[in-house]
Amino acid sequence: MSKLTKEEVLHVSHLARIGVTEEEIENYQITLKQLLDDVDKIKDIPINHGELLVTPVEHGAILRNDSDSEMIAFEEVKKNIPATVGNFVEVPVMVNE
Amino acid sequence: MSNYQTTVGIEVHCELKTKTKMFSNSINNYGGVANVNISEIDFALPGTLPCINEEGLRLGIKAALALNCTINKKVVFDRKNYFYPDLPKGYQITQARNPIGVNGYVEIEVDGKKKPIRIHDIHLEEDTCKSTHAEKKSYLDFNRSGVPLLEIVTEPDMKSEKEAMAYLEKLRELLLYTNVSDCKMEEGSMRCDVNVSVSQTENLGTRTETKNIGSISSVGRAILAESARQMQEIEQGNIIQEETRRFDEKQNRTILMRVKETGNDYRYFPEPDIPPYDLTEEMMEDVKRKMEVLPEERRKIYRKAGISPVNIEKIIANKPISDYLLGMEDINLVIASNLLLGEISAYLNKTGKMLGDTCLDQEKFKILVTKLDQKEINNQIFKEILVELMETDHDIEKIIDSKKVDTLSSEELIKLIETIVLANPASIEDFQQGKDRAVKFLMGQIMKETKGKANPQEANQILLAVLKKQ
Repeated sequence: MSKLTKEEVLHVSHLARIGVTEEEIENYQITLKQLLDDVDKIKDIPINHGELLVTPVEHGAILRNDSDSEMIAFEEVKKNIPATVGNFVEVPVMVNE
Repeated sequence: MSNYQTTVGIEVHCELKTKTKMFSNSINNYGGVANVNISEIDFALPGTLPCINEEGLRLGIKAALALNCTINKKVVFDRKNYFYPDLPKGYQITQARNPIGVNGYVEIEVDGKKKPIRIHDIHLEEDTCKSTHAEKKSYLDFNRSGVPLLEIVTEPDMKSEKEAMAYLEKLRELLLYTNVSDCKMEEGSMRCDVNVSVSQTENLGTRTETKNIGSISSVGRAILAESARQMQEIEQGNIIQEETRRFDEKQNRTILMRVKETGNDYRYFPEPDIPPYDLTEEMMEDVKRKMEVLPEERRKIYRKAGISPVNIEKIIANKPISDYLLGMEDINLVIASNLLLGEISAYLNKTGKMLGDTCLDQEKFKILVTKLDQKEINNQIFKEILVELMETDHDIEKIIDSKKVDTLSSEELIKLIETIVLANPASIEDFQQGKDRAVKFLMGQIMKETKGKANPQEANQILLAVLKKQ
């Protein structure tokens, strides 16, 4: 059975910022490949005739007036946030360096 | 190492001056108390859907027109996927495949030479939330999350730091004058990334990207520092890597940042939550009709009116003054600009007021300029009545009357000058012997007698005529 390389799995896990064990890597090498093969079936759809469907929605986007504003209270949002300091949301430090 | 050619391309992000955010209706304002201008959409709560802010779209079109771009009539958005705490959705809504404007240009002038800098594209997107980093934690403020952004990307057309700085000055001027953005680099509403490469051949070298440079002058220094670093690397036999760097102002050098995702790693795909939107001719025409008079057009008006090149640039650099002068082409713009750039600016600086905060409305100003132009009053008198003009609603005619500052009639002035000349025979003799001091002395006497109310130019002409008759 064809499978992804270990490096490919590690690259995807890095993009998702998810740590994976050796065991999980082996598992993902197979299951992710199965997923990709399923997605690849889209390529079999003949697209050289008729208009390409860009969106399944029949109407165009609705525009909004730049006037009425509606905000939510941070007190409410806070209930779903693991850590806050004052009015700030606290997360583990992530600096791009 | 002088045989290297530096090449620069620039990406600018600027925040749009809308009242609300790009895809949510929370207020577009950050910098104050954290997390107050927020909505479910800004926090990416489940079940929320983005909705395009029409004004954001219009400002994008306006900027694209000002930058001479072709407008894409089909507006579509894409998802740019990446995982980072400043982006709770896990993707940024942007325009990867069909930007609002393409193939534009901005004309710059460096050392007297004009040159077009091609705009590859300009596209609409949303800002991320603002992160403040401490030692072990980062703190997030979602007031900035969803703020409308315009990204403007040039072709690699700039060949020096001077050209790059000239481009940014011009771009900033256009975005300010079209009221698209307030372009405050120091506050982050205009941010700049530069792509720099060096090469000894006609082919471009490998480029690096230096991100988030804080001012236009820093952009110039960053380009010089980065191109010097690349030349040195090549001279030492090293290969330039495609990488992201930042500019350290204090050390005056660029520093390598951690490499972020690029290209395919962003897994762009069409934003399924926002169907395509077809721009109507009506909207396009409306945007064009409401387009502000652009700086180049204003420069032409000022040149035609005879304003000096130095003063033209001073006016353009001061948008409130330039806006104030709009629609005043029927008065003497040289006098008008001299007043605005001189005494009036000094008054505004001293009092900390804006022109719009004063009582000197445009109608009153036009009367003032006309009176000066027709020599009904002179500069001395203008200086005397300036504060009253700025701070009261009094009628300008009444201000002049109440101060009894009407200038002398020409007849009265001629008589007075003749009297002064005849009373100073020594000066007549000096003048006849070609001594300049005679005219200076007599002018002093005239201004003293008239308490400064005589028009100096007119008085000078009359004096010379009277002296020549002696």
